[in-house]
Amino acid sequence: MQHFALTIIGRDRPGIVSQVTEILYQGGFNIADSSCSILGGQFSMILIISNPEISSKEEFSETFNPLEEKNLSVYIRTLKPGGEIRSNLEGELCMISVYGADKPGIVYQVAKELGDRSINITDLNTKLVGDKQNPVYVMMLEAMLPENTEIEEVESWMKELKQKLQVDISVRSLIAMEL
Amino acid sequence: MAVKEVLIYPDSRLKEICAPITSFDETAEQLLQDLVDTMVDAGHSVGIAAPQLGDLRRAAVVDVSKSKPGKKQENHGLLQMVNPEIIEREGSQVVREGCMSVPDYTGNVTRSESIVVQFLDQNQQLQVIHAEGFEAIAIQHELDHLDGFLFLDRVSSLKTDLYRRKQR
Repeated sequence: MQHFALTIIGRDRPGIVSQVTEILYQGGFNIADSSCSILGGQFSMILIISNPEISSKEEFSETFNPLEEKNLSVYIRTLKPGGEIRSNLEGELCMISVYGADKPGIVYQVAKELGDRSINITDLNTKLVGDKQNPVYVMMLEAMLPENTEIEEVESWMKELKQKLQVDISVRSLIAMEL
Repeated sequence: MAVKEVLIYPDSRLKEICAPITSFDETAEQLLQDLVDTMVDAGHSVGIAAPQLGDLRRAAVVDVSKSKPGKKQENHGLLQMVNPEIIEREGSQVVREGCMSVPDYTGNVTRSESIVVQFLDQNQQLQVIHAEGFEAIAIQHELDHLDGFLFLDRVSSLKTDLYRRKQR
């Protein structure tokens, strides 16, 4: 079955989710995975959707016109076959917290340490907190460590960054307890 | 040795309140053995409760001593619990839990940091133990099963957004 990634973003207000999902429901779509959140003053929705009757985005893209009229931006991406299936990531999940006075490059430099080593980031949240005089940057990042990579190693890479960026970084294991 | 099939949600038996074991007969002994065998067979598992095997009686087993996080902490090894009850709770901790009966999903759950639990053991002796850390989490998770609660009923935050609670 053809799957699509649907991204919708617009000024946050009550009722966005119900308007979007009403259109999906009326159009016979299934929502497989989704993640929706407030970023700044914007509500953003990312959904993986499918409809057994529909194989191209041209067949349904116009059904979202009412959303555009309400100042929501809609983008549809057509997934390649299998693009809806999450690859099976092996390893140990770890959580990296980075926080400190705001400055350029915090996200990039941390991500680069991981990306250069082909470590997969599975989740990332950042937020600017504090006040105008003292903006504080907070980043929470989850990454899947391959089997041969220990938490202590990640800690040692981050130790150098901590000095360089003058931020606080902590790394911890995020083992899900299988019960 | 009897490894049983672990029920998967939406099997309705996972949402039932289990009945106390009033007579500790052979079937109760067999149930404990099945729980242990199934837990061991499941490899990664550190505990299992009777309703997960479709038996709606108040029994559960926990053993964190073989798991990576459990090994690092003091624990009681294999616990076989009949009619368990948590009689004291202290503190709180957030942990990411998964469950054999709810595959492919994990969530952050708030649990008590330490508990005192009372139960009858496999020799019908009344035990009162104090458990902390991962062992306490495992016991709380398994005892929830006896009341028809899944960890999905306890998820306290979506992924990492703990710090979002205070909005500017």
